[in-house]
This record gives sequence, C-alpha cells and structure tokens, in this order.
Amino acid sequence: MSDDLQQKFVKKWLDNAYGCFSSGHKFCREVCPVMQVTRNENHSPTAFHANIVAMNNNGLTVADVAEDYVNCTLCGACELRCPNTLFTGDFYRNRTETVKVVKAMRALSVKSGVEQPNWKRWVEATIDKKSEPVLDVPIDQDRVADWAKELDLPIGGETILFCDCEAAFYRTSVPKATAMVLKRAGFKFGLMKEQWCCGGPAAEMGYVEQAREFAEHNLSDWRAVGAKRIITLDPHDYITFTEDYPAYFKNGYDMEIVHITELVAELIKEKKLRLKKPVKRVVTYHDPCRLNKRKGIYESPREILRSIPGLTFKDVDHVTQWSYCSGAGGGFAVERPQIAEEISRRRMSRAAELDVDILVSACVWSERPLTARGKELDSKIEVRDLMELVAEAAGLDYGGVKT
Amino acid sequence: MSSVAISEPVIDELRAIVGPTYVLTSKTARYNRTRVPAPFPVHRWSEFLPDIVVLPETTEQVSEVVKLANRLKIPVVPRAGGTGLADGAVPLRGGILVDIKRMDKILEIDLDNRTVTLQPGINMLKLNEEILKYGVFYPDDPASYPCSLVGGRIGTSGFSLIAGRYGHTRDLVISMQVVLPTGEIIEVGDGGGRKIRKSSTGFHLKHLFMGHQGTLGICTEATLELVPRPEAEFAAFFGYKDFESAYRSTGALTKSGLATLASVVLFDERKIQYLRRDDEAYIPQPRNLKSVIAVSMYGAVDEVKPAGRRLMQIAKDTGGKYLGDEVSQGDWASRHDRYATPLHGRLLDRRVVPMCWHCEDASINYSNIPNVMREWHEIADRYIKKYGIFDDWGCFFYTNAAYKPWGDYLSEIDIGIWEQKLNDKTWKAWVNCKREITEVTLKYNGSITACHGSTREGDAEYVPEEMGGGFEVMKRIKRVLDPNNIMNPGKNMLDNAYEED
Repeated sequence: MSDDLQQKFVKKWLDNAYGCFSSGHKFCREVCPVMQVTRNENHSPTAFHANIVAMNNNGLTVADVAEDYVNCTLCGACELRCPNTLFTGDFYRNRTETVKVVKAMRALSVKSGVEQPNWKRWVEATIDKKSEPVLDVPIDQDRVADWAKELDLPIGGETILFCDCEAAFYRTSVPKATAMVLKRAGFKFGLMKEQWCCGGPAAEMGYVEQAREFAEHNLSDWRAVGAKRIITLDPHDYITFTEDYPAYFKNGYDMEIVHITELVAELIKEKKLRLKKPVKRVVTYHDPCRLNKRKGIYESPREILRSIPGLTFKDVDHVTQWSYCSGAGGGFAVERPQIAEEISRRRMSRAAELDVDILVSACVWSERPLTARGKELDSKIEVRDLMELVAEAAGLDYGGVKT
Repeated sequence: MSSVAISEPVIDELRAIVGPTYVLTSKTARYNRTRVPAPFPVHRWSEFLPDIVVLPETTEQVSEVVKLANRLKIPVVPRAGGTGLADGAVPLRGGILVDIKRMDKILEIDLDNRTVTLQPGINMLKLNEEILKYGVFYPDDPASYPCSLVGGRIGTSGFSLIAGRYGHTRDLVISMQVVLPTGEIIEVGDGGGRKIRKSSTGFHLKHLFMGHQGTLGICTEATLELVPRPEAEFAAFFGYKDFESAYRSTGALTKSGLATLASVVLFDERKIQYLRRDDEAYIPQPRNLKSVIAVSMYGAVDEVKPAGRRLMQIAKDTGGKYLGDEVSQGDWASRHDRYATPLHGRLLDRRVVPMCWHCEDASINYSNIPNVMREWHEIADRYIKKYGIFDDWGCFFYTNAAYKPWGDYLSEIDIGIWEQKLNDKTWKAWVNCKREITEVTLKYNGSITACHGSTREGDAEYVPEEMGGGFEVMKRIKRVLDPNNIMNPGKNMLDNAYEED
C-alpha cells in the first residue's frame, strides 16, 4: 500500500523535480526563511526536489525523507526565485512547484504512517474542538463568535466574514476592527451559523482527509445561510479557500473569495470608507508570505497605508520581502518553535533598522510571534494589524489589542 | 589510502566537537551533499555519498574535525554552496563532509582600511545587502552571485563577471585563515598582515590556498576587499551580422584601454540560435543579427559617461548595432538568473526535455578563439547525432584577465545533457566528449579551466599534462601538507603524489 502510494507520488512529481535537479543552482536557498536560519542543506527547496529523484532511482523511501519536509513555512519564496519560473516560466507555461510538493509529501507521510508528534496532537485537538488549539487560550466552540458579541452582526446573507481561529480566540481586536470598518463603510455581511477551522493547517500538516471534513462543514454552512461570497481576514484562510477547497469540491464549489485588504482598498477608493483621524506613527509593512509571495497581493495593503492620514510609511519593496517571513506559517512553528522564533526575530530586527515604532502586518498568525520579538528589541516595536490601524484612522474604538 | 568505516565512537567524537545536532547521518543529509550542478551520473548517485556530515560553526571545530580525520585517516570533503560547475565538492571516497554554511558571520567591517572579515559560509548577495548602508560593496560577481558562498569562491578561485574593473576572487581576498590537513590553523596573505594587499615577505602563500579545491585544507575566515559602490553602471548589447565581425569588434573593445571597462562578453552564432528558441529578448531582433556582444562598465559618473560614448563609437565603427536600452539594461541586470535553465533542452527532433548543463570554462587566447569554437562545435555535433541525449547551447567568450581584459577569454561551450537517460554507456560517452573538448583546449595552449576547477572526469586526467613540471611540485606540496591524503582525495590527480610509497 505504502509502496504504491510512493510510486504514484514520484510519478506525479518527477518531471517537476528534474526541472530543479537538472538545474541544481539553488537560487532559492538564500531567500528561504528556514535555510537562512538553519543553514542546513536538508531544508533547502532544492533538497525537497532532489529527494524525489533519489526516491525514483536510488531507493530512498518516504520514511527516509519525511522529516526534512517539516522544515518549510510554505511561504513560496523559492518558487518565485527559481530561474525556471522567472525566465522561462512564461514561455513554457512552467512554474516550479515546491509548496505543493511539500504539502503532498507531508500528506504521503501521514498516509504512510510517518507522523510528526506535535502535528498529530494539533490536528487531533482541532478535530476535537472544531477550531485550532490556539496556544495558551481556552478553545470552546460556544465562544467562536464571542468577539462579535457587541457588534450586532447578522447570521448569513450573501457575504460572509470568515474569522480565523487565531483571530476568533486570541487577537480578537482584528476581527472586531475589521467588522466595524466594514459596517462603517455600509458594507453588508454576516457571520456563519457555526464556523469551524478552515482546515488549512491540517492540510498543511498532511492530514488531508481530516482537513476535508472541516471544508465540508464550512461549505455546507455557507450554503445553508445563502452565501455567495466569503471575506477572509487571514491570508492562510484565503489560500485554503482559493486553493484547497476548489481541489476538494471541483466544479461543485462556486464561492467568490475576497481578501479583506482588496475589499477595504476598494472601499477607500470609492470613498465609501473615509479615514480622517490622523495616526501619527512611523510604520513599516510586513508583507505576509501568503499574500505577497503566493498570491501577488502587495499593492492593496500599501494603498491602504498611504491613505491613512498622519502616518509616516517607510516601505520595504515587496520583492526584497520575498526573503522575509514571520515563521508562523505551514505548521512550522508547531513542530520547530525555536527556529520559527529565530525567523521572527530576524524579521523584527529588519524592522528595527528602519527606525519605526510600528510594524504593520496583515496576517493575524504573524502578529503574536512578531509582537513577542518586538518586545525584546531596545526600540520596542509594536505590531499592529492593518485593519486595526484602519479602524483607528476611521475613528472607531475596537477595544484592546492582545500583546 | 582507503576510508575506514566511521564507527560509533568516531561519531561520538564528532558530536563532542560540533554538538550532537550538527552531526548528520541520515540518508537525505548525505544524498543532498553529494552532487553539484555539473553533469552527474545520477544512476550512480550512491557511489559518491559522504559517510557522515558535520556542520561546524567555528574555526576550532573545523580544526578538531580535521585533526580527528587525520588521526584516523578518514577523507574530509569541504563543501560551501555546492553550486560549482565542476566536482570540487563531490566526495569521491566517502568520509566526513564538512559543510560550512553555518559559518556565515560577518566578523569585522573596517571602513578606514576598506576590508570586511568574515566566515566563508556567507553568500555575496547577502553580504552586499548587509554592507549597502556603508556605501561599499564586495564586487565578486559570478553568475551564481545569488547562491554561491565565499568559501566556494576561494576553493575554486572563482571568476567574476565584472573582473575587468574589480578583479576576481583571488584579487579580492586579501588574506585568509586556513585549517591545514593536519589541523593547524594558519593565516595566509600576500605576505603577513590580515589587511595588507601587497608584500614581498616570504612566499605568496595566499595563491597556494586559492583554488586548491579543498585538497590543501579548509578556509575558515577571509578578509575581503571593499570597493566604493559605483555611481554609474553602463551596460550595452550590440548585434552583428556574423561571428567574424563580432569577434573583431570584441578585440577592438577590449583593447580600448578604458579603465572602467568591467567585461566584454561575446555570444557566438550557435548561442544566438539557442537563445532564439525561447528568449523573448532576442526574438524581436532581425534574423540577420547572428552574433552579439555585451559590454559593461562601472565607476564614477565622470568616468563612465564619456567612456561609454567612446565604447559606443568603437562598437559602431566595427559593425555593431546597439540593441537598445531595454535589452541592454534588462539582459545585463538578469545576468545571474540566466545562469542556466534546463527547460531550454532540445533533442534533434526538437522535442523539449529537461537537460542538465555542462559549462566548459577553458581559458583561451584571443587569437585561438575561432579555431577552438569551430572544433568544439564539431565534437558536440558528432555526439549529439550519435547518442541523441546531448544538445549544443552555443558558446560565450568572457574577458578573462583582471584589470586588463584583452588577452585571453573564459571560453564556454554549453552542452545540455538529458540526465534521465544517463547510464554507464551514455555517461562514458559524455566523458569522452568532454575529453575531446579538453584536448582541443590544450592543443591551442589554453588552460582547461578558468574558474570551476579541474576536478571533473574529462578534465582531471589532463592536469599533469597542462601543469608540466609544475605538477611534480604540486605533488610534493600535497605530500608535505597532507601526509595522509585526507583532504578531498581523488581530486586533481593528486593521488599520484602518494604512489611512490
């Protein structure tokens, strides 16, 4: 059984692997956030492909290679930096696929009985609670919409705001600020009857069947409340809904997925949302990997920041940020917390070089580790979510920020 | 000598030296530190594995590992980026692979004396990102600029694309710290003094430890030149009606004597045909454009502006047609990323297959370029027809000498190899093809390798011939420094040094 699965996997990914192996240049290595810290070649995207070639003709098995594939935040920088993608990709309609390979290898590992202990526990807890076991915060499905208590939001409607687990249970200021901003702009939306985890983290950890159960619950909830459009406030959810769900449901999936930064930038442009209260702070922006590197969304957050009065915005080019990461993605921090911590520490020290007092992010998962590292700095850089800043500029009191 | 099996007590000793986390024994750790981007007999991958991998962080750790290996006569193979286009970092006898990537710290930036001292596991792009704020840069600019590491540049004595202006690795490394094959730690420069560029004291040992391919020790620190960030870059691409006129124009441009000239690169007609397969930059060019030259200059605005005008005039007078700012600036800016793409590979029937890349890097004198180029293509064509897994990607000729870019050229024929079809028979065919190419180089009094090192099959066998009487001296030096032949054994025919025993 396991042999068959491995053979199928190798057959599917061998050409893609050879595209990298035959080049072998490792341009990806120095932009890879994990490699930059560990300097261990096993963790390089090149190795992820070379292993598949070795599985094909040198007898390596999934058991030999599985653990190496833990060392990836699925940020996608390697794919962008790959010369095959950059220079001949358009012509040959080729893109070096590494994120998909890592996810597929993790899935193959789980199916072959090679599991990672912390991921296993994490996914089991998610199945148990229906939301992710957000660290140090009690998770209870009855409280999944507590953040919205005072906001009087309807259930259902054509447009649903999907609130990520970390946002629902930990940094509740993000969904609260987001919802208040949308209301202020007169934008109509509702909540789900019962939101479960999007399933993305389970899928990233290799537990695809389990992830699919979450997806099925959420999709049927959306259908039950008449939803046609889902607003995501977390980039990881945006990936899950635009990449995983279509793969699960094929043609049966017809939801429009809109990311909050795109929507809010539009609302500002259309003058439906007016930002009048000056925010006199010096900020830089952290491009969340999944928005910038995987989805090419880097303009709307900057447009939003530039429309906030009083703000001094010290921008770092989104291409420079290909090599930045908070370390929070792809389940990596759950299995390798120390390396993840060093990745976020380096990200914050980049911000410190710019003499700013706020690092603005648009990814709620990045905000907890970055906040912790920001506190260690002499300059005490604060970490704020873009929507929190927008709410402030709109004169909205969205409550306290978890730090 | 032969490798002893690395037993559990030896592994424990290594763990005690570098820390248990940094001794790797897994299959993937060993498989992924075996090959480099040079053509590789993938069907025999397991024959080239190291027995064990260590990831040291300090000079002392490297020294202790080497002392242990010397005591037990275990081969040691140093590895930096593993991005070489020859086999310097490929283990031939198993042993301990010393991967220096964790040694990536900048130790001192001295702006008064314009030096940076660092560990050799750092990449040049990363280094330049760090020192940008001081208005200086480290101008070692190979095609592998975004991925190769300083240590590998030293181990191979690398080639920089802008060396006509700034020099190559050997010119940019002022001094270095080296762990010898017996474990002693020494410092070498032109003479003494970590930051002294010119000395007549003693022997010039820096050059001995530059490009030795890990056969004489492991570089653990280096002091590098910092140059002012240039105010101006001038890049120009010119098209020609045939190779002959581009070749003559190359001679005129390189002999112009302009001090800011950093490089002249000549593309032959086969290279242009290859690029026309899919490179959008060349598709819009008229069909009568058959050969191309790329020129670059760096320096202060006051120097580069008038010199650029002079170069434009020389190119025009010698038959060159300027290809416009977009091609010139765009293609020059992307010189690193075009390093190679396996997707360009074509079989004789034009079928696209992913191919790995052989990059010949012989040094050839200007006057011999036309003959060498013709003979190389004839060899490639024969093998393409006979075996159906090779492809000719054309030739580049890069100005080779530092500061005086006229007399000889890094001469590159690029050959695609359909790696998935390699077996004993086709690998042997490839090595024979490589040997024929090398023989042409030597016939025209060239050097086998300008920058990758003579460590590949098809190159290494010819080291004694190229070096002549010097090879005897090499052998004596090797025996004295490395009495047990532990450092990267099997490379550069240096096993011969021990045959008399």
